[in-house]
Amino acid sequence: MTITARPAPNAAPVRLKVRKNIDSLSAQELSDFRRAVKQSMALNDKRGFEYFAGWHGVPLGWCQHHDPLFLPWHRAYLYWLELALQSEVPGVTLPWWDWSKSAGIPSAYSSAQADGADNVLAKAPINVLNATRKSGWPTETSRALGEVPNTPAPPYQQEWANAMQATTYADFSQRIWTVHDTLHVWVGGTMAQVDWAAYDPVFFAHHANVDRAWRIWQAAHPGANPPANILDQSLQTDPAMQVHQTLDVHQLGYEYAGTQATVAGSA
Amino acid sequence: MQRWTSQALAVPPRTAWQRADLEFEGVEHDGASFVMHVFLNNPDADEATPRTPEQRYAGYLTVFAHGDCWGDVGHCDIPEPVSAFDRRPPHPLLPFDATLEISEALAALPDGIGEITVTVLAFNKNDDTDGVLRFKELTLLTYA
Repeated sequence: MTITARPAPNAAPVRLKVRKNIDSLSAQELSDFRRAVKQSMALNDKRGFEYFAGWHGVPLGWCQHHDPLFLPWHRAYLYWLELALQSEVPGVTLPWWDWSKSAGIPSAYSSAQADGADNVLAKAPINVLNATRKSGWPTETSRALGEVPNTPAPPYQQEWANAMQATTYADFSQRIWTVHDTLHVWVGGTMAQVDWAAYDPVFFAHHANVDRAWRIWQAAHPGANPPANILDQSLQTDPAMQVHQTLDVHQLGYEYAGTQATVAGSA
Repeated sequence: MQRWTSQALAVPPRTAWQRADLEFEGVEHDGASFVMHVFLNNPDADEATPRTPEQRYAGYLTVFAHGDCWGDVGHCDIPEPVSAFDRRPPHPLLPFDATLEISEALAALPDGIGEITVTVLAFNKNDDTDGVLRFKELTLLTYA
């Protein structure tokens, strides 16, 4: 592991941004993240949260599920959204929700109030960018924990371990998308509908954890890449990205860490 | 709850395989999200049946689905390619294949059993009794 990487072959190393467990963010970090999301939601153009939410389902429907593109597409998705949030508040990163260990939705995403206002991470309006609202479209995000009877609830420790035991990309991808599906369905409400799920900010904490799982698995299985015949495939994002460009998180400028402690040096 | 039980699937001798998968081919995901619990040789399994090895429980799969059609007329119809040079991405509602590894559950059955049936209990939020799980074929795959 490392905390720096070269953005280009001859460039000087720069420090990677670290995505952290939502439960380990400092009060300032959490407040900054909320501010970034809130400011992003106020933008009714291609910089804004609603634009990115619309990539996944209504209106654009670009997401990939239940196939080998699932992990690369969502990694690219988070990458572009995170940059947009950093344009609002420099330095913020997408936190992850470790549903392999935690029961229930993290309080950062479930408390109704935060920083003296409605918690922007708990409920969000759904204003589809550049579209005329149709009958039946939800106006705000909702959650209905366990609305589908007999859906296993987190923590998904066994499912996580099962995915990590995979020895091929195909097996890992399928096992992790299965537990990913389970979390979506367990949360219920708009999170359980592909077309609306990404309007809920908790979607991105969920997917940051899926992406973290892939990162951990990759570190344990170097070279275990997606099938060769999809490595040059373009992923539908804006801008587009090819599958091979998603394989190395350091080339995307980030890393995951359980903890991080830094002190000043002697210079 | 929807209950579906397969016809008999041939099972090779225990010495002939190390891993066994059930492959649900062509799973539709244009409706409500659902969870499916799978039992082997237990066609009477129902919601109250304990999901335990004694009941020949093999595991579960969950399908994060689209829920409804939110676009204009035809939005959710899966089109045919309009040309041999049609390089647009596949329609997002194309059915997919879902795999459930059942090695432990299958190995726990008596050796030489010869065949199994698969019973699926499928649940969605609407408590539908039909149409929750829709798929084309079920295959038992074993690997040496």
